[in-house]
Amino acid sequence: MITRGRGKSIPKSTGLIITSLIDYFSIVVIYLMKSYSAEGSILTNSDNLVLPNSNAKTTPKDVNIQIAVTSDMVLVDNKPIVPTEDVRKIPSTDPDPTVTKLKERLEKAYVQEQEMVKLGASNSVTGTITIQIDKNVPFDVLFKIMNTCGKVGYNNMNFAVLSREE
Amino acid sequence: MARKKMMSEGGGGHGGDMDLKPFINFLIVLVPVLMLSAEFAKISIITLKLPENRGSQTTTAQQTPPLNSEDDKLMLTMIVTDSVVTLGAKGGFLPSMWYKEFHRYVSSTNKEDVVMWEFNPVKPDDRPICKETGKPFKVGERQDILLEVTDENRNIQKCMYLKKDGKMITDESFLPITSVSPGQTVYVLCNPRKSIQVTNPADFELRNLNAYDEMKNRLMKVKDRFKEASDANDVIIAAEDQVAYDKIVQLMDIAREADFPNISIAKLRS
Repeated sequence: MITRGRGKSIPKSTGLIITSLIDYFSIVVIYLMKSYSAEGSILTNSDNLVLPNSNAKTTPKDVNIQIAVTSDMVLVDNKPIVPTEDVRKIPSTDPDPTVTKLKERLEKAYVQEQEMVKLGASNSVTGTITIQIDKNVPFDVLFKIMNTCGKVGYNNMNFAVLSREE
Repeated sequence: MARKKMMSEGGGGHGGDMDLKPFINFLIVLVPVLMLSAEFAKISIITLKLPENRGSQTTTAQQTPPLNSEDDKLMLTMIVTDSVVTLGAKGGFLPSMWYKEFHRYVSSTNKEDVVMWEFNPVKPDDRPICKETGKPFKVGERQDILLEVTDENRNIQKCMYLKKDGKMITDESFLPITSVSPGQTVYVLCNPRKSIQVTNPADFELRNLNAYDEMKNRLMKVKDRFKEASDANDVIIAAEDQVAYDKIVQLMDIAREADFPNISIAKLRS
């Protein structure tokens, strides 16, 4: 029954050989631990929005109002506001190009931030905005959007980028 | 009884009947937990501050007198158009860097289908044909933009690069070099600048000069010469309308690497 399995027959009780499975799990666990992040991601990313690669190391800390510019839509906090094509159509000779719909939406958000300060929920209006722009969007669109943000009072702009792998 | 006997015997040298089930259970639970909190694409931010209480930056630009001979302001500006990048300051401009632009397209359906394509600024909407679909690539499939420095006659310029980490090599006066000889002292483009003695020329190779590398090199030269300027940390990036956002970010990157942390953005009027 019980054979001292040297050579010919393997004892039945040895069961499954799981050494390789454990090796595999250990490697997966180590890999996942390497990419572990305690903060979670503050920024959400959509499909047709490819961020440019950069060496920037600063990680986003606070949750701010968020603008996303894809090749076809401008979104504020994930709600579509104005087609990018319309932004492109604003004549570039305009010395002070403003995206009207975006401005209205941002003004609303700015007023909300001021209310928050009055209520004591936050200390001051920081005027910080996070901008995610698709890397293939022309500078023209970026400039018009920045100008609009600056006009409303959002002067601290955080551009989201993808960190390069080391 | 027989089983018990076997367990006590098996504990010795052979086979090992250590009970690994709890450990595997633990690992199986740990894997999804870690997967949930793993961050595969790390997003970071570039911070840009506009002057406060001034409204739009266009008004700011108009308010600031561009030339004021009394102070020692440098007003360093990087200029990007569709075929030239250059560096200018209050006193004048460095020679223009003409560049050829190469785009690397990767098909979204087949990752093997990679096309390197030379961009023609005269026909900005032209794109290469994808082999699989037979249609032109979409804009979103453009993965990288490479800029290679040329002379006025569109001949690509070369420079020595370190084989190991792909860093550009210059001589003492920040000029790109095209050959190295043993015993020569050369400088590696990084911040702070590092000098190395050439021992084995095979460590170096001649590559097409990357416009971003050359720009960084020039920025470092300017930084080296004008340390005492009151705006020695400032640089303005002035771009033409159709320049892709990707290029702006790359330029912001090299500006930060060359120790110009205060970056402003301006528009080049055509």
